[in-house]
Amino acid sequence: MTDYLVFQLARFGDLVQTKRLLLSLAALSDIRVHLVVDRSLGGLARRIYPFTLVHEMCCHGGNRSEAEVLAENAAVFAELKSLHPERVFTLNFSGLSFAISSLFDPDTVRGYKRANGQNLRSRWCRMALHWTGQRRISPLNLEDFWAYFADAPIAPDQVNPHALPAGAGEIGVVVAGREARRSLPLEVLLPCLEGIWTALGGPRVSLIGSGSERLAARRLIRHASPALSRRIRDLSGQTTLEDLVDIFSGLDAVVSPDTGAMHLAAHVGTPVRAFFLSSAWVFETGPYGEGHRIWQAARSCAPCLESAPCPYAVSCLRPFAEAKLRTPAGRAGDWPENLVEMESALDALGVTYRPVRGEYAEDVARLRARTTLAGALGLAYGTPDPSISGQLMRESDWILPNF
Amino acid sequence: MRRILVVLPFYGGSLPIGRYCAEALRSLGCVVEVFDAPGFFGAYTAIKELKVALEKQEQLQSGFITLISRAVLAKVEHFDPDLVLAMAQAPLDRQTLMRLRKDGVPTAMWFVEDFRLFTYWQTFAPYYDIFAVIQKEPFLEKLAALGVSNTLYLPLAAMPSIHRPLELTPAERALFGSDISFMGAGYPNRRTAFRHLARRNFKIWGTEWEGDTELAPLVQRAGERISTEDTVRIFNASRINLNLHSSINAQPPVSEGDFVNPRTFEIAACGAFQLVDKRGLLAELFDPEDVAVFDSLDALMQKIDYFLARPEEREAFAARGRKVVLERHTYTQRMRSLLDFARAVLPARDRQPAAWPDNLPESLKKDLAALLDTAGLPPSADFDTVVAGLRSRQGNLAPLETALLFLDEWKKYYLR
Repeated sequence: MTDYLVFQLARFGDLVQTKRLLLSLAALSDIRVHLVVDRSLGGLARRIYPFTLVHEMCCHGGNRSEAEVLAENAAVFAELKSLHPERVFTLNFSGLSFAISSLFDPDTVRGYKRANGQNLRSRWCRMALHWTGQRRISPLNLEDFWAYFADAPIAPDQVNPHALPAGAGEIGVVVAGREARRSLPLEVLLPCLEGIWTALGGPRVSLIGSGSERLAARRLIRHASPALSRRIRDLSGQTTLEDLVDIFSGLDAVVSPDTGAMHLAAHVGTPVRAFFLSSAWVFETGPYGEGHRIWQAARSCAPCLESAPCPYAVSCLRPFAEAKLRTPAGRAGDWPENLVEMESALDALGVTYRPVRGEYAEDVARLRARTTLAGALGLAYGTPDPSISGQLMRESDWILPNF
Repeated sequence: MRRILVVLPFYGGSLPIGRYCAEALRSLGCVVEVFDAPGFFGAYTAIKELKVALEKQEQLQSGFITLISRAVLAKVEHFDPDLVLAMAQAPLDRQTLMRLRKDGVPTAMWFVEDFRLFTYWQTFAPYYDIFAVIQKEPFLEKLAALGVSNTLYLPLAAMPSIHRPLELTPAERALFGSDISFMGAGYPNRRTAFRHLARRNFKIWGTEWEGDTELAPLVQRAGERISTEDTVRIFNASRINLNLHSSINAQPPVSEGDFVNPRTFEIAACGAFQLVDKRGLLAELFDPEDVAVFDSLDALMQKIDYFLARPEEREAFAARGRKVVLERHTYTQRMRSLLDFARAVLPARDRQPAAWPDNLPESLKKDLAALLDTAGLPPSADFDTVVAGLRSRQGNLAPLETALLFLDEWKKYYLR
């Protein structure tokens, strides 16, 4: 039995999106998979990845002092180094990953590493850098990107269950995401929510959020229609991440912006109804698996940088306000410009999203990029497009050695 | 002056000196990074042997120098040194030096060459903030005339960890030993002098001795380059190490130049005996009883006979010479002089020492003290200095070292 070590140093949503990689590694024979996460995510990691050995370290901010971070991490690193892992996966492009990789023989590290004082990224990560520069044709979801750190990722349909309603007559609504501009404000969210709720036959609604979202939850209840308001129970601030696993398993759908909770719903096979706008881009971080539906703001400026001021007064919100989300898909109507309704689907490469209402101008180019990338990965998947190939791969990706 | 970037040349005599400087600076508690130009030399060689039109080849060489200069700049940007120390022939073009000056990065050149032979100093000396040399007048005057004010006379030295007495095996003594030896290149004045020793028990080591039938039987290993390790063995094994400073003129064989070559210090540091030719600056570095000196070919021949017959006098010279070098002429002492000079003439850089985390557990304090000791850093070293040292380390880090690197990154995300 040999040990593989996966460092996922990022947040809740990233942890859930590491699933395909972890399952792929766990499927190998005689491999023990260790997962290293921030202390705040240890419990959830053990819950959703019981097949891994979870280690906790101090990655994130919070109330810890520098001395605590140093002392606790030195002890964790001693334990991890003693494993003598055969392979180490550092998934996050950050100084934190480069620093951690110093602990191991550089030849064992995949992803981001430091070798003899020099930060390096693997060829696969370099390629990803090229396509993240052209997000409109982004060919690969983040979960699939990480999955291809493994030599042989498991098939996409083995990752999450095909999403189906639990039949309990209840849905969840994630009140807000961590990033404000990526979430619909109440006055836009409410009409959308009412539309979806009506289309689903008026089920009970559980509001999901952290303690800091209690106020937003109360406002939503106050401004909702009396019919909807009567059906709401407010769970904001009352649930742990581990609780959400159980709660989501019993729901017919989860309505959310692009959040970690949305990925957790996909993890348990609950249909996701999600809004993507601003910097959120479904082709990068959409819910994994079949049976999900999302609405993507597709203005030519999208996706943007959350941290950069919006010169258009966040006008990607407007089509959400105009959309008739309760209209069944496929029916002709006055669908707003710059909004695309999509449903998730799987192919040999991983998860993808197909427009069902509205138009996405770059969809053909994106599919070509996807085909081309699949060809580069050695998957039988149509005919690569040389003009796109040059955008996804640079000379340094094949002329120079990997790492 | 806590962080020093040493820029090595591609090749040549100043290359090992640059490496000694880096080690010496580390021993003084500096965090040192080395720009390893020799690592790029293969690309230069490939361009040189490309067999293309001359103009194209020269364009490529020029582009190569530009690339290397950019690499130096990238290194400076990443390491943020308090001083860039360039050795003679270091790949820093004028544009790069101007850029460093504009960015407020102090630069120093240790020009360990003869200014009369290597005249290119006139082109770039004004671009350095400190210009250290191995000669005095009239070189210092000439530099002043160019407007170069921060000049420092910094003679060469020895590296005691390398240049040291050795216990040789009988086989090594037979291989490397002789009554008389010379280690160095076949300059014209040396050829003239050494023909007079052709019938003696004399071994010549080193390169560029081709084309001299009289000396050919004396040349060892067919004139191939001799490693530093074997050079030290030769110094240790020879009864008399000849040290005749080079001259491009065949006459006079004893040129009576000014600077003192590194071999003078290295042989002495080995506790070996040498006969060195008289130099203008030798007397202020060694007293007459520290090294045996000759000032003419006739004197050389007489002193060889004299000292071969008197092993106890050889040993006495060798012991005194070694003592003087260890006391006054090591690269550590030279680098201390350079840093003192830099502190005196350069404006202080506005770098605040980065504090260690408060309330460290006692056990961790002990571990950190041990880490500093192992790294050769003083107990007063601040957090940033230690992290900079860890960043430049080769090989894998220990858990505590990794945790320090991680903490530095963590602070960037969450505290700065």
